[in-house]
Amino acid sequence: MSVTVRLPTPLRSAVGGERTIEIDASDLTSLQREIAARYPELAARVLRDGAFGRFVTVFVDGEDARFLERNADLSTAKIVEILPAMSGG
Amino acid sequence: MTTTLKEITALRGLRCRACGALQPADERYVCGECLGPIEPEYDLDVFETETLRADIERGPASLWRYAPLLPVAAPATHWPVGWTPLIEANRLGDALGIERLYLKDDTRNPTLSFKDRPVAVALARALELGLDTIACASTGNLAGAVAAAAARNGLRAFVFVPADIEPGKIASAAAYGATVVRVKGPYDAVNRLCGRLADEYGWGFVNFTLRPYYAEGSKTVLFECAEQLGWTLPHHIVVPVGSGALLTRQATAANQLRATGLVPESHFHIHAAQPAGCAPVSDAVLDNWRPVEPVRRPETLAKSLAIGAPADGDGSVKIVRDTRGSAASVTDDEIREAATLLATTEGVLVEPAGGVVVATAKQLASRGVFHPGETVVLYLTGNGYKGGPEETALGPVIDADADAFRLAYEEVLA
Repeated sequence: MSVTVRLPTPLRSAVGGERTIEIDASDLTSLQREIAARYPELAARVLRDGAFGRFVTVFVDGEDARFLERNADLSTAKIVEILPAMSGG
Repeated sequence: MTTTLKEITALRGLRCRACGALQPADERYVCGECLGPIEPEYDLDVFETETLRADIERGPASLWRYAPLLPVAAPATHWPVGWTPLIEANRLGDALGIERLYLKDDTRNPTLSFKDRPVAVALARALELGLDTIACASTGNLAGAVAAAAARNGLRAFVFVPADIEPGKIASAAAYGATVVRVKGPYDAVNRLCGRLADEYGWGFVNFTLRPYYAEGSKTVLFECAEQLGWTLPHHIVVPVGSGALLTRQATAANQLRATGLVPESHFHIHAAQPAGCAPVSDAVLDNWRPVEPVRRPETLAKSLAIGAPADGDGSVKIVRDTRGSAASVTDDEIREAATLLATTEGVLVEPAGGVVVATAKQLASRGVFHPGETVVLYLTGNGYKGGPEETALGPVIDADADAFRLAYEEVLA
């Protein structure tokens, strides 16, 4: 099952300038594994010890991935979004 | 992009807090290597202490007196943001059991909150970059600060806020001419939208694309406290935590004050104040310094602190630990009581976040955190006039008659 991953500007150079990439993944764990295997430059920026690092926030159809189980089903997900972790009201 | 920044400040570049890489001060807003947060780094050795102190003391009665320690120069349109009073609070101190208590009254900024400080620095950077639009994701106070700063500089402003925000806060932003966009969901949903929009539009999102500059404005709160205390650090500061940017920059400020010789070495503790309905940092501190766990659905009276996934959360926990500080999380009832206590003992009206700070100080005092003779400064960051701790209890309306007054207010007069 292919998932669309949208990337912010600072990460696009790691995937040849693309805004989005398609990745075969059924859950977050396999998504991380596929990123590591297919996009090592992207992986170097967003993964730490094989998992999304604390300086990025990952959303699955708008839901913060930290609130999802690691094996949460991605098969019905429309889009996965990776953003720098920033906030401040 | 080249800038003139190095000619006017001691700015060395932007240092990544995650991987440590030093990078040029261009348009980047996250680390180009690892996406970590980047912060201005200064060559503090260029300063001679007494010259720097004299320059500051001769400077304007605003945060721009500290321009040598900021990453950008004051724009020609700058207005008096900062240099707010540090007030002795003996009556509140007596009530809380704190001997030397001060209030840093940052409710007295142009738009009635400390957010005018970070916005002043972000705006200066936006002007330097030639941007025509500034924007933000806000829990309320930032919206007003961005809107007013944009108005004063003839820029367009978009402010994005949670739909359930206090009307008083967005009314002012709209009055300043900003486009106020109310977004369904909590602040973190607003934040996500803005993260996306920041990527699509070339606007200066103050808390995204201008963040390395924006956050630096918060340092000036402690710069001022130190100067107002006769160039010495207070022993304790109690800081409200939303994103954690304010708290973490107090540690940066303390380090810079010490490194430049402006203050002597002394023990200095930073304490985190959060509402129980959204206390990811305080909970992590009190749970033996564990990593911050985001709060999915913040529910608190203190809406300006309702940030469930604070960007500087882990950084805040580390700094509280490094400074041997502490934390508290306080209930809505404690927040209301504390805000009322502050208003009735010191004549300072704060938004609920101020109640969070006072209630936290009360808890810390009861735990014996403050010792006799130590100075304690409470950071009051938002004014109650924009939407205080619920409706004020008002007495009955009376006829214009003295007897009617005596009858209606018999209990108060007794």
